[in-house]
Amino acid sequence: MKHKLVRKTVRDFSEAELGPIAHEIDRDARFPWQVIEKMRVLNYFGLQIPRKYGGAEVDSISYAITIEELSKVCASIGLCVTVHNSVGAQPIKSFGTEKQKECFLPPMASGERIGAFCLTEANAGSDASGVETNAVEVEDGYIINGTKIFVTNGGICGYALIFATMTTGAGKPFTNVFIVEKEMAGFSVGEIEDLCGMRANPVSSLFLEDCKVPFDNCLGQPGSGIKIALTALDSGRIGIAAQALGIAQGAFEAAIKYSKERQQFKKPISSFQTIQNYLADMATEIDAGRLLLYRACALKDENKPFGTEAAMAKLYCSSVANRTTNLAMQIHGGYGYSKEYDVERYFRDAKVTEIYEGTSEVQRLVISRAVLSQHT
Amino acid sequence: MMKMLKLVTCIKQVPMVSELPWDPRTGTLKRNLADGMINPACRYALEAALILKNTYGAEITAITMGSDIAEEVLREAFAMGADRGILVSDPKMAGADTLATSLVLSRAVQTACADFDLILCGCHTSDSETAQVGPQMIEELDIPGVTYVDRLELDGRLLRLQRLSDNFIETLEMELPGLVTITTQRQAPRYVPLAGLQDAFTDKDISRLSLEDLDLDPELTGAKGSPTKIINVFSPTAEKDNIIMKGSARKIVQQLFDQFDDKIGGAIGKDIKDYQESQ
Repeated sequence: MKHKLVRKTVRDFSEAELGPIAHEIDRDARFPWQVIEKMRVLNYFGLQIPRKYGGAEVDSISYAITIEELSKVCASIGLCVTVHNSVGAQPIKSFGTEKQKECFLPPMASGERIGAFCLTEANAGSDASGVETNAVEVEDGYIINGTKIFVTNGGICGYALIFATMTTGAGKPFTNVFIVEKEMAGFSVGEIEDLCGMRANPVSSLFLEDCKVPFDNCLGQPGSGIKIALTALDSGRIGIAAQALGIAQGAFEAAIKYSKERQQFKKPISSFQTIQNYLADMATEIDAGRLLLYRACALKDENKPFGTEAAMAKLYCSSVANRTTNLAMQIHGGYGYSKEYDVERYFRDAKVTEIYEGTSEVQRLVISRAVLSQHT
Repeated sequence: MMKMLKLVTCIKQVPMVSELPWDPRTGTLKRNLADGMINPACRYALEAALILKNTYGAEITAITMGSDIAEEVLREAFAMGADRGILVSDPKMAGADTLATSLVLSRAVQTACADFDLILCGCHTSDSETAQVGPQMIEELDIPGVTYVDRLELDGRLLRLQRLSDNFIETLEMELPGLVTITTQRQAPRYVPLAGLQDAFTDKDISRLSLEDLDLDPELTGAKGSPTKIINVFSPTAEKDNIIMKGSARKIVQQLFDQFDDKIGGAIGKDIKDYQESQ
């Protein structure tokens, strides 16, 4: 009953507030601050942050449903919320000291500070260890230099989790994570990227030029950067799988509606077996994806390992999103190729779910490693 | 010290879709086939109660009558800010008309919140549209009441109300305790916060009341206690017809007014005819 009500609650909000603007903010690549202000008081930015830091502390299935329902209407905002909550806040929740949690989590829970996760660089991404941004320890903190690219929420972030390489003495280089605040000297935001989909999310580069960060803003033990990144991405995959599922569901529902309305040969096209087969495949795949996703969520809530299952959910749901949006566009025919119809936006938004927070190729790597190690 | 204001909102779970299958044998809706939601006007009544609570401080008791699944609307009411939830449920209440429903709800209010100050109901429900339960509760409880209220303000024990009636806006005053029914005109209900929804399932308990708890004669409730019988239920059908008019613009306009003068509006037609004649 709780999950049903969560779905209804988020659906009511999304349809009323995001539905009327989803097309326009995609077209104009505009971040809708007015709606974000409403979402802040409704706890969308503190979904899995503990109550003591001002969060809603929802369970993972509620979390997935929330992202799914937001993304069904507007994937750009689903993306903003999931990146903020998972890879933005989760590392501070899991690896921060009590002092860091008290300092950084409340403004994130209220949405006053939106989080960004900054791993990708010109020569690093799937290879998390290839980070070239570097940090040097000085008397009262660290000096960071480097450039992060394709940062989701980049243009609006209040806190950016920066992954940087450090070296001490003759030892091997290691990766650390720093919480960089947007006002810090030497931190700046680049141009908003002109992307294929998710256009209402201000994805940008972030520049760090002699950016000075206090000791208190270094997250986790020295050298724990890769561990933090991989742990964060495990949770992040739940969010992206949910997002992909939302896009697929949105496209599927649009296809059903259109197929019942569109007449050819004096019949609705939904009466043709080819279209029926498409719809049957879409429905089956979406349902299968949903079960994979909720299994990963349930494992997470039971504090059991869920990384492989989350990777499976992300791999499958993103693939379903692409197949479903493709078929939805096909069902819409020429109209689907027009920007007047939502399926054109769903089609563009779906692609990146196979790319970010671990490409499909990396998900297969994660899954294959797990299955190979289980069968020695 | 002044006593805490005690508010009661009666909320009904209604089917979410407007076109619902119904049982042609009994003439009743097949409620189990649709998802439920808080009746829109009841949601406005709850919002009015929440505004009073925010302004003056109050305890809100939400009461609903229905099957187990109606617990959902109470959980949602908790999430929005209600403090107590009462589910009045008994198989013997099935098939109740508005008279039997208002009797049960009145008795539930007297049982669960006897020292109430104000009862707020929705002005009507989206699944039956009778608008009778509120006024019948006023009679049953023998308290003052005002229907179709869209604004309320409290001054001690005096409630100042704005009531919408056809072409008038009436300003009225009413002594507490009393009952108001709220329209869907003014204060849009708040969205449900997600933290509130979590709390609604962890921190709040729902009290259940049966006919026995209410000390009500089963003959007066459910289908047995319902003098209203549904004779017929049907979905009205709207039909469209396309008519293509041919000829010159002047001829088409003339045809339009000849055939559809009553639908287009006589005044406009007359103006155009006068204009044409004057040319």
